[in-house]
Amino acid sequence: MLSVHNRPPKIQAIAKQEFREGVRVNVSVLEALKPLRKSALLGIIGIVGIVVGLKINAAYSTHLKPVQPIEFSHRIHAGENQIECLYCHSSADRSPSAGVPSVAKCVGCHERIATVRDSAEIAKLNAYWQAQEPIPWIKVHDVPDFVHFTHKRHVLAGLECQQCHGPVETMDRIERVADLTMPWCTDCHTLNQTDNGLDCYTCHK
Amino acid sequence: MTSINRRDFFKFVGAGGAGAGAGYLYAELVKRPQELLVPQVVPPEDYSPGLATWYNTVCNQCSGGCGISVRIREGEAKKIEGNPVHPVNQGRLCALGQSGLNALYNPDRLKTPLRNNNEGRFQGIEWEEAIDELAQKLNESRARRQSDRVQLLTGNIRGHVNGLIGHFMEWVGVASHMQYDFTRPANLYEANQLTFGQSMLPYYDIRNTHYLLSFGADYLGTWLSPVHNSLGYGHLRQGQTEKRGTCIQVEPRMSLSGANADEWLPAVPGSEGSLALGIANVIANGHYTGADQAEWANALTTYTPSNIARLTGISEVDIERIAEEFFTNASLAIAGGAATAGTEGVATHIAVNALNYLAGNIGQKGGVIFNSDPGFAQTSTFEHANYQQMITLAEKMKNNEVDILILHDTNPIFSMPSSSNFQEAMENVPLVVALSGFMDETTAMADLILPTDNYLESWGDDVPEPAVGFSVASISQPVVSRLYDTRSLGDILIDTARMMGTEVSWDSTEAYIQDVWSRIYAQQGGDPSGFDNFWRSALEAGVWGQETASTNQGSTVKPFPVNQLSDVSNKLEGDESEYPFVLHPYLTLTFLDGRGANLPWQQELPDPLTSVVYNSWVELNPGTAVELGVKEGDVLEVTSPSGTIRAPAFIYEAIRPDVVAMPIGQGHEQYGRYAEQRGVNPIDLVVPNFDQRSGALAWAGTRVKILKTGERVLLIKTDGITRTLGRQILGPSEAEHG
Amino acid sequence: MSVLDTIRKYREAGYYKEFDYHWGMTVDLDRCTGCEACVVACQAENNLPIVGESSFAQRREIKWMRIERYWEGEYPNAKLNFIPMFCQQCDEAPCETACPVFATYHNQDGLNTQIYNRCIGTRTCAVYCPYEVRYFNWFTYTWDEPLERQLNPDVSVREKGVMEKCTFCIQRIRQAKDLAKDDDRRKVRDGEVTPACAQSCPTEALVFGDLNDPESRVSKMANDPRGYQVLEEQNTSPSVVYLQKVHGDEEAI
Ligand code: SF4
Ligand code: SF4
Ligand code: SF4
Repeated sequence: MLSVHNRPPKIQAIAKQEFREGVRVNVSVLEALKPLRKSALLGIIGIVGIVVGLKINAAYSTHLKPVQPIEFSHRIHAGENQIECLYCHSSADRSPSAGVPSVAKCVGCHERIATVRDSAEIAKLNAYWQAQEPIPWIKVHDVPDFVHFTHKRHVLAGLECQQCHGPVETMDRIERVADLTMPWCTDCHTLNQTDNGLDCYTCHK
Repeated sequence: MTSINRRDFFKFVGAGGAGAGAGYLYAELVKRPQELLVPQVVPPEDYSPGLATWYNTVCNQCSGGCGISVRIREGEAKKIEGNPVHPVNQGRLCALGQSGLNALYNPDRLKTPLRNNNEGRFQGIEWEEAIDELAQKLNESRARRQSDRVQLLTGNIRGHVNGLIGHFMEWVGVASHMQYDFTRPANLYEANQLTFGQSMLPYYDIRNTHYLLSFGADYLGTWLSPVHNSLGYGHLRQGQTEKRGTCIQVEPRMSLSGANADEWLPAVPGSEGSLALGIANVIANGHYTGADQAEWANALTTYTPSNIARLTGISEVDIERIAEEFFTNASLAIAGGAATAGTEGVATHIAVNALNYLAGNIGQKGGVIFNSDPGFAQTSTFEHANYQQMITLAEKMKNNEVDILILHDTNPIFSMPSSSNFQEAMENVPLVVALSGFMDETTAMADLILPTDNYLESWGDDVPEPAVGFSVASISQPVVSRLYDTRSLGDILIDTARMMGTEVSWDSTEAYIQDVWSRIYAQQGGDPSGFDNFWRSALEAGVWGQETASTNQGSTVKPFPVNQLSDVSNKLEGDESEYPFVLHPYLTLTFLDGRGANLPWQQELPDPLTSVVYNSWVELNPGTAVELGVKEGDVLEVTSPSGTIRAPAFIYEAIRPDVVAMPIGQGHEQYGRYAEQRGVNPIDLVVPNFDQRSGALAWAGTRVKILKTGERVLLIKTDGITRTLGRQILGPSEAEHG
Repeated sequence: MSVLDTIRKYREAGYYKEFDYHWGMTVDLDRCTGCEACVVACQAENNLPIVGESSFAQRREIKWMRIERYWEGEYPNAKLNFIPMFCQQCDEAPCETACPVFATYHNQDGLNTQIYNRCIGTRTCAVYCPYEVRYFNWFTYTWDEPLERQLNPDVSVREKGVMEKCTFCIQRIRQAKDLAKDDDRRKVRDGEVTPACAQSCPTEALVFGDLNDPESRVSKMANDPRGYQVLEEQNTSPSVVYLQKVHGDEEAI
C-alpha cells in the first residue's frame, strides 16, 4: 500500500503542502513525474506486453479452441450435410452426458463415403480404427467435478444446442463460446424461472 | 521529451518481451487441465455414457448366497446392492458384501502368473508357460498312474463349477478334491445327518418365530446367512401382527445377536449343550405329551434343573421359565459359533435339535423347515474337508505322498492353528500350484501362482444353502470386463486339460454353465427352442426359483433318535490352575475368518460391538480387569498350551469374568497392504483338538493365561463415552432403563 | 401431539413460501441391530475417503453414517443399545446459523445442504451441530490405484479443507426428480427415493420419504407412539424420527 511517506520526496512535499493549507495548489503533477517518465514508460510497455501475451495465448494456445487429434469439422457435418446433432451425440436427450460417437460409428459412415475416403484426416480415423484405439478428443466444454450438469433436462426443456454451444454448424474447429461460469448458468435459470433453478443443490453435488 | 538512448531502448524491448512472456505463461497456468473426451471404439450394446446399468450376479464374500446387483457406469463397477428379486436377501446386503468392490479394485490383486524362483521371490511368466508347466507335471503323474498323489484343495465352491472340476479330475487324473472353509458349520451338518437323516441345512424360520432361543449362534452377524436372518429378525420384532418376538441368547461373550436379544445368558463356556438338555428335561417331564415321552424322560434324567444350574451358572428358575416359554410359544432353537465349536459340537447341536423336536418346531412355520430338493441333483466329486482330514493331508504331504497340490481360494495356513504344521508340510510338496486372487499366506507358499478372476468377473451358479423354503438357483455372471490378465478357475482347468491333449467340448466356464442349465431346463420340461429366452431372462433376474411346498411342512415328523443324545460337556484344553481363562475366539462380521482383512472399507468399519478399527484386541470383563490392574490399551500376553500372542486389552462390559475373547480375522503376514502386519490371529492359540464325531476343529476349547507386559498402545476406536448419562438419546423413557 | 405435529409446527414459520418436500427418515431402533451395513453403503455411495490408520487415531475419520453404542447396567445385566447417527437435517439447524459463507443452508426440500465449492473450512458448523455429524477433510485423501475406479461419478470427491456430512443422498433425490419429470410429474412418488443406507439395511430399520405427505410410509412411521427426536430439548427440530426400542419386559406396541 502506498502511503504518503514512501512516495518520491517531491510529491510528498506537495501533498503535505496541500494537506496543510487545505487549498488546491496549482502544481503540475506531470512536471513532478518527469524524472519518473522513463520507468513509467517501461511499466506501461511491460503491461502492454502482458496483454499481448495473453492475447497470443488466447489466439494460439487456447483451451477454448484446441487443436484436436483429427481436424473434425462440424461445419461440414452439421452445416453442409445437415446431420442432426443427436445423430452423433445420441444420448443428449436421455443422459446427463451427450456422448461422443464411437470410432465404430465414424468409420461406419465413412466407409461408404467414397469422395473423402482418401483424405488425410480420414486416414487418421482409419488408423485409430485399425489400431482399435479410441480417439483422444480434447474436451472443450468442461464443467468442474462439483457440478452436476445434465444434458437431458436441458434438451428436453427445448433448449437449442446452439444456445450454449454456439453456432456449431459454422465451426471448422469446435470452439467454446459460452462462459460456463456459475453466473452464466444462473442468469439463464433466473430469466427462465427454472424450477428451483437457484437452489445450490440443483446443480452442486 | 526525454530522448531514448540505446540502453533504454533495450530496456523497453526487454520489458515488453518479459511482459508478453509472463502474460502467456500466466494464461497457460490458470488454464484448467485439459480433459479428454475418450469415446468407445466399439460400444457394448447396452452402453450409454452417463447412465448406469445394473447387472445381477451372486455375492461370494461368504456362503450365504445373497444375490447382488452391481451398478456399472462407463464399464466400471460403482456400487453393490442386494438384488431386490433374490429371495435370500431381498435387496439388502451386509457390510462385507458391499465391500466386494474393494476386492475387485484392490491394488494388491495378483495380475499375472508368477513362478517362485526358489529364493522366495516371484517372477512374472506367461500364461502359456504356466499352464504348460502344470500340464506337464500332471501328465507325468498321469503316466505314472499316480492320481492319488495329486490333491485339489479349494475353498467353499457351490454350484456347477464343481461339476466342471469333477470332469477335470477325470480328464487329468486327480483323485481327490477337498473343500476347506473355516466358517462351514460342519458340526451342524453332522448333527442333522444323525438326527434328521439329512446332511443339509434346513430353513430356520426366524421371520415367523415368536421365541428365538440361540445357543451361541450369532445369526445377525456371521451365522449361515446373516442378511436373510436379519430380514427375519426385523420382521420378528416389528412385523409380526400377533406378537413382538422374543430373543434369548446363550453365550459367554455378548455377540451382536446377544446385544439385540431380550435376554443374554452368560452360561459357563462349553456348557451350552447341557443347558439345552436341561431345558429339554423340564419340557419332557412337564409339558411334552408325545408318544415317546417316557423315552425322553428316561434319557434326560440326569439333566435336572438343579444339576444343570450348577453346571451352567444359569439359575433353576430361569431354566424352568425358559422351558415353559419355549414350549408354549411358537419357538425356534438354533446353535452355532463357539457354543458348537468345542469337542462336543455335534452333541450340542443334537441337544438343540432335540429341543426343537420336543417343542414341536420341526416342519412348522417359525420353526425348522426342511427344503424340498432343488432339483439340481449332481454327483459331487468333492468332500468337505474337516480339520481331521486336513491334518491327514498335512501328514501325507509331510511323508512325501503328495506330488502336486492345487489350491484355490482357501487359506488353511491362516485358519488352522500353527501347531497343525500345515505350512511345514506344504514345503515337502514338489509342486504347489495356487489359483488365487491374492497373495495370502497359503498362496505365498506356492511354486506356481495362477491369478484368478474376481467373482465379479467370472461365471458360475449357486444354489443357496440354507435355501429359503423353495427351490432357488442363482447365476453369477461377469459384470465388468477383466481388469488384469487373469482367468477363472474353470477356464484354467479347461486350458490345462486341453494342453494335456484332452478333448474338451466346452470352450469356457460360461459355455459349461450354459450347457448345464440348458440340460436342467430340458429336464424340467422346457421347450428347447425357448432356452435362449429363458437364459436371458434368468441372467437378467440373476435368480431363478420355483415356489414349491416344503417337504416337511405339515407332514408327520419322523421320531427323534433319542439314543443319539450323548455327553455334551466340552472338554477344555489346559489346566485350570495354570490357565485360568477360557479363550473365546469369535468370527467378526467385518472380516469373517480373515478373508475380509484386505478390504480397506472393512478395516475402517468400526467393530459393531467395540468400535475398534485396524487392530486386534483382547476382551476382558471389567471386574477381571480391575483385579489384574489392566486398562484399555495395556498390551497383554495371552498364552495357551500351544502358543503366545500379544494384543492390547479392551474392557468389555458383557463377558464372563473367566473368559477372554478375541476377534478372528486380523494377524495376516501376507494378504496385501491393508491386511499385513496388523493385529494377531487367535487361531494360533487354539490347541488342535477336534470333535470326535465330525472331525471339526474345536476352536473354542482352549484355556489361556494372561500377563500384563507393561507396554501400552492406543487402541483406535470411534466410541467416546458409551453411557447416555441421563441424556435422552435412546428415547424419553430410557431414563428408567439407563 | 405426535412428533410429526411438532415438526409441522416449526415448519410453518419457515422462510420459504411453500415447501416442495420435507425429506425425512425414521429409524426403528427395535429393528436396528447395529450391523453397520448402512455405514458401508454410505461410504460406497458417497465417495467417503479411506482415511488410514493414523488419521483414525487422531479421530479424523469420516463416516456420514455411524452407529453409536450405549451400555446400560453392569455385568451380568449389561445391555447394549445401538443407535444410527447421521445428519438429522434439522429444520432449525444450528449449523446453518454458523456458516459465514452460506455453504450450509436450508433448501426448499427441507434439506440441510452442504455446498463443497462454497465451503471455506471454518469448521464452525461442526462445533454448532449438537449431533456431531459433520466431518472435516483435514487432508486431500487419495485412493490407491485402482480403487478410485469405484468412485461414484454422481458425487463430488472432496478436497482438503472442506466440511462434509450426510446429504440424504441428494444425488438419488435428484435422479428421482429427473425421472418424475420424464413422466410429466412435478413430484416424486413415495418410495421412489431410497438413500443408500436405507436401501441396504437388512432389517428394514430405516424408512425414507416425504414428511409433508401424510400418506407416505415415513409419515405413518413417524406417527408411531414410539417416535421421538434425539436431543429434542435443543429445539433443532430434526427431520429424523427415531422409534424407541421396545424392551422385552414391556408389552409390545
Ligand atoms: S443397516 Fe440397518 S440394522 Fe444395520 S446398523 Fe444400519 S440401521 Fe441398523
Ligand atoms: S444434525 Fe447437525 S449438521 Fe445436521 S442439520 Fe442438524 S445441526 Fe446441522
Ligand atoms: S442418507 Fe445417504 S448420505 Fe445420509 S447417511 Fe444415508 S447413505 Fe449417507
